[in-house]
Order: sequence, then structure tokens, then C-alpha cells
Amino acid sequence: MNKYNPPRMNPSSLRSRFATRFLRTLSKINAQKPTSSSSPTEIFRRYRRIKAAADKSMAYSVRSRRTWSRAMLWKLRTRPCGRRSVKTSTIIKSREARKTRHEKQNKNTTTTTTTTTGEDGVVFGVEADELRELVPGGEAMDLYNLLDETAHYIKCLTTQVQVMKKIADFYSP
Amino acid sequence: MLHRLESLESCNYNGMDVAVLERQAARLKWQQQNYVVQNNNLVELCASSMPQFQGLIGSNIGSGQMVQLKRPEVFLGSGDFQEFVNFPVAGAEFGDSEKLDLVPPEAAADYCISRTSSCQMTALNTSVMKEEREDMVLEKMESTTGSGRESFNKRKPEAVADHKGKNKRIKGEGESEVKTKCSTEISRNSSKENSKASEVQKLDYIHVRARRGQATDSHSLAERARREKISMKMKCLQDLVPGCNKITGKAGMLDEIINYVQSLQRQVEFLSMKIAALNSSVQFNVENLPMKEFPAYVANFPAAAKLPAMAGLPYFQLNPLQKESVNCMLNESILPAQTATEGIASASVSISEQSLSSSSMTQLQPFSTWNMDPQGSSSNLTVIFHSSSIVRVEYIRIWHLIRYTPDTDTS
Repeated sequence: MNKYNPPRMNPSSLRSRFATRFLRTLSKINAQKPTSSSSPTEIFRRYRRIKAAADKSMAYSVRSRRTWSRAMLWKLRTRPCGRRSVKTSTIIKSREARKTRHEKQNKNTTTTTTTTTGEDGVVFGVEADELRELVPGGEAMDLYNLLDETAHYIKCLTTQVQVMKKIADFYSP
Repeated sequence: MLHRLESLESCNYNGMDVAVLERQAARLKWQQQNYVVQNNNLVELCASSMPQFQGLIGSNIGSGQMVQLKRPEVFLGSGDFQEFVNFPVAGAEFGDSEKLDLVPPEAAADYCISRTSSCQMTALNTSVMKEEREDMVLEKMESTTGSGRESFNKRKPEAVADHKGKNKRIKGEGESEVKTKCSTEISRNSSKENSKASEVQKLDYIHVRARRGQATDSHSLAERARREKISMKMKCLQDLVPGCNKITGKAGMLDEIINYVQSLQRQVEFLSMKIAALNSSVQFNVENLPMKEFPAYVANFPAAAKLPAMAGLPYFQLNPLQKESVNCMLNESILPAQTATEGIASASVSISEQSLSSSSMTQLQPFSTWNMDPQGSSSNLTVIFHSSSIVRVEYIRIWHLIRYTPDTDTS
């Protein structure tokens, strides 16, 4: 009899790390929520938590090797979980504003140097800003690093989508 | 003239002398072939070069000829002269114009040769760094004689501004053919071919070559290097983003990338919404619900739908349900006292719950024969999981599914 050995996945790959964490968090979320939760608001709330869990587990899988993961983790940690931390959020926002202002100054200096010399700055001006908004932590990066982070972010997003799709498909056969 | 040069070459000097000798020889050869006017000077040069090779100086070699040599070649600009200060200094005074003052004659001669041969030897993709020189002397094979020739061949050009300490190194190649190619390529109109050095050695370094007529100061060279790095990155991104092969141009590419990232993020949102809606079914009491099978329930969730706005209602559940005629029956039998929308939503989750439970029942048996993860991580999962055995089993199954799908990522 031939024994079928399924292809072994690398246990330390990004996909397995993310899947482990996400499943763990999902189970926690399932354990916490009340049983009779089928109202839209309840589902919406759960959706938010699941989305945050997905982002968090993805960021933890990358383990702050990347700027975007660090930024995402920071954002998730300081995000107001509920209504209690409004005050802290304002404090954090001011701190953040100061930080981004400072970073924007740096960015402006770099962008001014680049725009003077080539057409790069002009071409990439609008799109680069959009990309910066999309990629977490992209506000304070020059174009080369931004593209680098975008590449890694795209890779991680595709992994995330694949795993979540499998989970969702499994639950709805 | 040539035989005289060869006689020079065959002289038995030490390494450095021969290096200078060879460089001068090549330069003279090149000069001879290109500049008819300069014959007198060349002759003088030959005559004067001989006694001076002993002392590794050549000040009037440089001064007289530099100006003429500067003209046709690719002129890398004033800033580049700074690097050549690193070259072993001969120590002679050098009274030529502008920045050549900073460059010792031997270095200037090197630079001359490098510039000249850079014009011609584009295919060779050569250059030197000072630190490499000794290594390359040992490495590079030479068909011709003398260690000096090796160093000469290494000096085959292409220097790029070592701007602000950034090392834009350019590896040297193609030694033995250098001399022969020198003559053949001189006649070629190489200024246009000088454009971009191929990035053969894929270090972190970007090879930049100054084009004819372009500014060659350090700033623009650095700018050009940066731009090439960015274009390399764009090419990598083009491989990542599907459907980007036809798009040329940075702006279109960036738009494509932005769209792709947005669509991926929306997919994540949609899937998390889906999981949120489906997960609520897990909490239902399994015993109360009849074990019916609804095979054709789901399948049609628009997985790639772009959601313009995530409303509170999981609207995607409505679509397949509208096609199902069983809904009313389900509503009545399972969830009697609810509003229409809620009923549909709960009916959907109940359907999924039933299918889930039914599928789980059938799938319990194979699990016993399973190979669990040797690391025991899945066993950890079971500990943390919900107490319901069915849920636990389902999570194990998911883990199995995910584990045994072909993995495409590498990190």
C-alpha cells in the first residue's frame, strides 16, 4: 500500500504562523461572545474584532521586522478598544501628530531634494501619497522604502486572504 | 610608434611602473588612432615618458595631454575626481587646469585611460575600486605578461561617482581581451552605448554610467542611482501584482498597485465579515437543531466582490438565500419568532450550522487516523479551543486544510 504523504508545509512560514494565531484568536472570540448573537449589530461588532484579530495576527507573524507591521501593531494597541480610552486616544493622537509632523518635515526635505532633480518626484507625487495612506506606516518613508514595504505588504495580504478564504469556505461548504 | 610602445611594455619594471607604463602605452595608442593632430605631442610624450617611468611621475605627461584627452570622452564630471585621490599618489606636482590639480598624475593617467576605455569597452562592464585592486591582481587571469598588465586591465574603467561614501562598485571583467578590444571598439560610436551599465553583479549597488551630454556631478549621479533602484523595485512589484505586464510607465504601475492593495484590503474585510457571520453559527446549540443536510446552500459567496461600504448587515448572505426556496420552511421550523431580515440572517447561519454539524459528523472518523503536527502546536490549539468537541474538531480540520495546501510564500 502506498502511503500518501501530503506535501509538508514549512511550519515556520508566514502562512502557518498567521493561521495559528488567527485560529487561536478566533476561538477566543467565539468563546467570549454570547450565544444568541445573530443581530446585525452584534455581527458587525464581531466583524470588527475579527478584522482586528486578523490584522494583529498578521502583524505579529511578521514580528516587527517591517515598518508596516510595527506601525500596524502600534495602531492596534493604541486604538480605542471601546469607549473608555477616548482621553488616551486624544493624547496619543497629539503625540502621533507631533511625530508625523516631525516625520513629514524629514519627508519634505527628502522630497524637495528629489523633486528638484528628476521627474520622479513629480510623477510619484499623487500616487505615492495614496500608497502611503494605504500601507500602514507609510507616511514617513521615502519612495524606495515605500515600494519595498508595499511589496512585502502585498505578499502578506495575499497570504492573509488565502487563509481567511479557506476558513470561511470551510465553514460554509 | 606601436613597436616603440611594445618595447616599453616589455621593459622589466616593477609592478607599479609597469602599470603606469601600460596605461601610458594604451593611452598613447588610443591617442594615436584618434588624434592625428596630436602626433607631435605623442612623440614628445613617448620620448619624455621613458625616463620618467622610473620615478613614477609624469607631471608633464599629464598636463600636456590631459586637456586634449578630455574632449571627446565621457566626462564624468568634477566630483569624480575626488575618488581618484584615493589612488596611490605618485607625488608629483600637477599643474593642470581645474580639478586635475587634485589628482596626482598617475591617478590622472589612470583616469584618462579609464575614461578613454570607458568609451569603448562598454561591453566589458569593467571598473575598479582601489581596495579591490590587490585582490584582482591575484584573481584576474592574463594572457599577456606582467603583473602590471593585470592592474592595467583592471583599471578598465567605469568609475562612477563615489558619492558621499556610497560605494557604487562596478566589477571588472574581461581582462585578456581588453587590449584587443581597445582597438576594435575605439572606432565604434560608443558614446551612446555608454548609457547604463548592466547590473550584472546583483549586490546592493546600482551601476550608473554617465551618458553623453548628461550632467555628471555627484548629485545627479546619486539621483540617477536612486531612480534606477526605484525602477528595479517597480519591476519586482510588477511581478507581484497580477496583470501588470502590459502596463508600462510608473504612473500606471503605481495606480495598479494601489488598486491591488485596496482590493486586497477589501477582501480581508469581506472575509472577516463572512467569518463573523458564520462563526455565530458555531455557538448554536447543536442538539436542538435537526440534522438536515442542505447541500446546495452556499457556494456562491462573491469572494472577490468589492464592497463599497461595509454595512451593518451582512448583506452577502441575502443573495444566495433569495434563490433558495427552502428559506421559508427553515424560518418556520427553526426560528419561529423573528423579523424578516433577522430571520433570513439567522436562517442562513442556521443552515450553515446544520451543514457544519452534519459535515462534522461524517468527518469525525478520519480524524483518528490523522497525523498531528509533530510539534504539537495543533494539540495546543485543541486545549485552547472551545469546549464543544465539534468545534474543536473543526478547528483541527481547518488547521489540516491550511497546513496541507501548497505553500507559495517563502518567508
